[in-house]
Amino acid sequence: MIDKFRKLLGSLRPEFYHRTAEHLNPYFTFTDYRKIWAIGVFLLAATALVPLIVVTIIHNQLIQKSVDSEIILRTERVASNARRAVTFFLEERLNALRFTVNEIEYDQLTNSDLLAEILRNLKLGFGGLTDLSVIDHTGIQVAYAGPFKLEGKNYSNQIWFVECQKCNFYVSQIFRGYRDLPHIIILAKSFRPDGTFFILRATIETERLIQTLSSYETGAHADIFLTNRSGIIQTSSKHYGKIFEKMTLPVPNFSHRTQTVISTDGQGGSIITGYAFISTQIADTPFILMVIKQKAGMMGAWQELHSKINWFVGLGIMVIILVVTITCTFMVNKLYLADRAKAETMALMEQNNQLASIGQLAAGVAHEINNPLALINETAGYVKDLFVIKEQYRKDEELMENIDYILEAVERCGTITRQLLGFARKFDVKIQKVNLKEVISDVLHFHNKEAEYRNIKIHVDVPEDNLEIETDQGKLQQILLNLVNNVFQAVDNGCWLDIHASHNGPDKVDITISDNGCGMPQENLSKIFEPFFTTKDRGAGTGLGLAITYGLVKKLHGNISVESKEKEGTTFTITLPTLIHEEISEDEGSIGR
Amino acid sequence: MKQYNLLIVDDEQRFADMLARRLNLRACNCDVCYRGREALKILKRKNFDLILLDLHLPDIYGSEVLTRIKETDTRTPVIILTGHGTEKDRRECMQLGAYAFMHKPLGIEELMSILAQIGEMSA
Repeated sequence: MIDKFRKLLGSLRPEFYHRTAEHLNPYFTFTDYRKIWAIGVFLLAATALVPLIVVTIIHNQLIQKSVDSEIILRTERVASNARRAVTFFLEERLNALRFTVNEIEYDQLTNSDLLAEILRNLKLGFGGLTDLSVIDHTGIQVAYAGPFKLEGKNYSNQIWFVECQKCNFYVSQIFRGYRDLPHIIILAKSFRPDGTFFILRATIETERLIQTLSSYETGAHADIFLTNRSGIIQTSSKHYGKIFEKMTLPVPNFSHRTQTVISTDGQGGSIITGYAFISTQIADTPFILMVIKQKAGMMGAWQELHSKINWFVGLGIMVIILVVTITCTFMVNKLYLADRAKAETMALMEQNNQLASIGQLAAGVAHEINNPLALINETAGYVKDLFVIKEQYRKDEELMENIDYILEAVERCGTITRQLLGFARKFDVKIQKVNLKEVISDVLHFHNKEAEYRNIKIHVDVPEDNLEIETDQGKLQQILLNLVNNVFQAVDNGCWLDIHASHNGPDKVDITISDNGCGMPQENLSKIFEPFFTTKDRGAGTGLGLAITYGLVKKLHGNISVESKEKEGTTFTITLPTLIHEEISEDEGSIGR
Repeated sequence: MKQYNLLIVDDEQRFADMLARRLNLRACNCDVCYRGREALKILKRKNFDLILLDLHLPDIYGSEVLTRIKETDTRTPVIILTGHGTEKDRRECMQLGAYAFMHKPLGIEELMSILAQIGEMSA
């Protein structure tokens, strides 16, 4: 399974990723296609992604700032409104006490019936008052109107009594006191004619105050409560501690104005805190109003939208990277294929030029040799003629044999020069319909006897009986004959020769000639089509057979390639067009003149 | 055996002489010349059964000599015998009416068989 996956991955790899034809490297315009690909992907991706990412970040920051300032504004507004409400609540009741102590004499106030009457009127006017009492300058409660029996209580040790001596009005923090219920006391001090002071004290229920605060709560993520200046919670909080406990947040810095700050709560969550120090025009109070909004909760909807945008941007980035990678791979691969085609053409041209120049040189040499060779031939022939005529020499076998050696050598040289000229020249091509099976059969006819004698098995595999191409039959025969000759020279007795012909696409045919002979070393493969290259013993071969074959294949607009392994065998593959469209040009060569 | 009259035109003097000697031994009567113009002069005064003509002559190119021969005498076969011939030369000479186009070095027996063919044709 893993192997299959690896194979699949391998097949997806572009061709430039595993370039193999190292012999073409000098002809390539670009050397490192992987680097080109990597640079291309990086630059294209960066060009597309950087603006997108930068715009997304800027957009996020702008939205964040906008949402933050909106929440801060709303929190500050709530805190400001709640501050006014609490201030008014306390100020209203302080004013009532001030009016009472200013308008009614101490002696009258100490009258319990009158005090009860005043309490009843205050309850009707403002509500929220529990009791009303008068305390003399020694701290003794001299008169009391209310549900508890607190007459005669001594408050001289109470903080509020001590504090009230310093000022005329006082607002306490919320405390339980003797009655064990959360309440606030407010005091108004006045003086008697004898110069001693007395205090009118009222107890205020906290429910009304809590109701007032609750009306400013906005949603589950908001909290509004009172704390004192030491951070002790005065009215219940949802998230930051119980009443009379120390709140989990730090006490804010004093300010006359309503303030809003962004900070973190104990759990690390971001919160927006609006706070105000409550102070009435008559007296200062110990209360700090806290309005706290949890940012995460308040920004839930925005966070959801933000998350969707991020997903969309992330998906967009992935798509861009994918498209850029695919496009870049496609383009670089096309570039590589074009470069490789150019490199192959250049390599072929160089090889052709090499062959052509060697061929021209060889043909020139052949021409120059022909005339002296002809002279040797005629001279030796004449000598032989003379000897044949004279009786005494005709019987001298050694003499005749030696002259024949000269004539044979001349004939051999003549064969070489004719082959060289054949290699260099271009002859007319006569195009006709050729049945490959028949041509192969004709060629093998010359070798049947030798194959039988040497026990060489010949196997011809042409699946299509009517495999026909339009080409020059004579040249095709010569090509096949040269290659089959080559095989018969390369294989030992008992080996095999395999000839296969089949279509390679609609307009080409492949003819392969394989053997299991001695094969060739790799270093020889690139030279075997060069003239005079031979691995045979000196004098055994001219080294022109395959060079001529190469030229003939090219003349028929075909290609020839060779694969070989030492001691395993050799395969020649000829690819020919099924139809030669254009007239084959004739190159006369510039030799001999 | 019929006696053939041959004219050998070749600037390679030794080759031409040697070939003439060999042919003379084979019942041929050979005249030899080494220039194109000289050959044309000889042809004005004497008829031959066959002319062996080199292409690369120093004064007139062989194909030009062939052209002039054929202007006046279309019957005498001319064999082009060259060591420098190209395919273009071969085609041109054959179009001009050469009997054969042969490369040096030449087998004497091959030449004799062509002579025999010519003899049969003329007979």
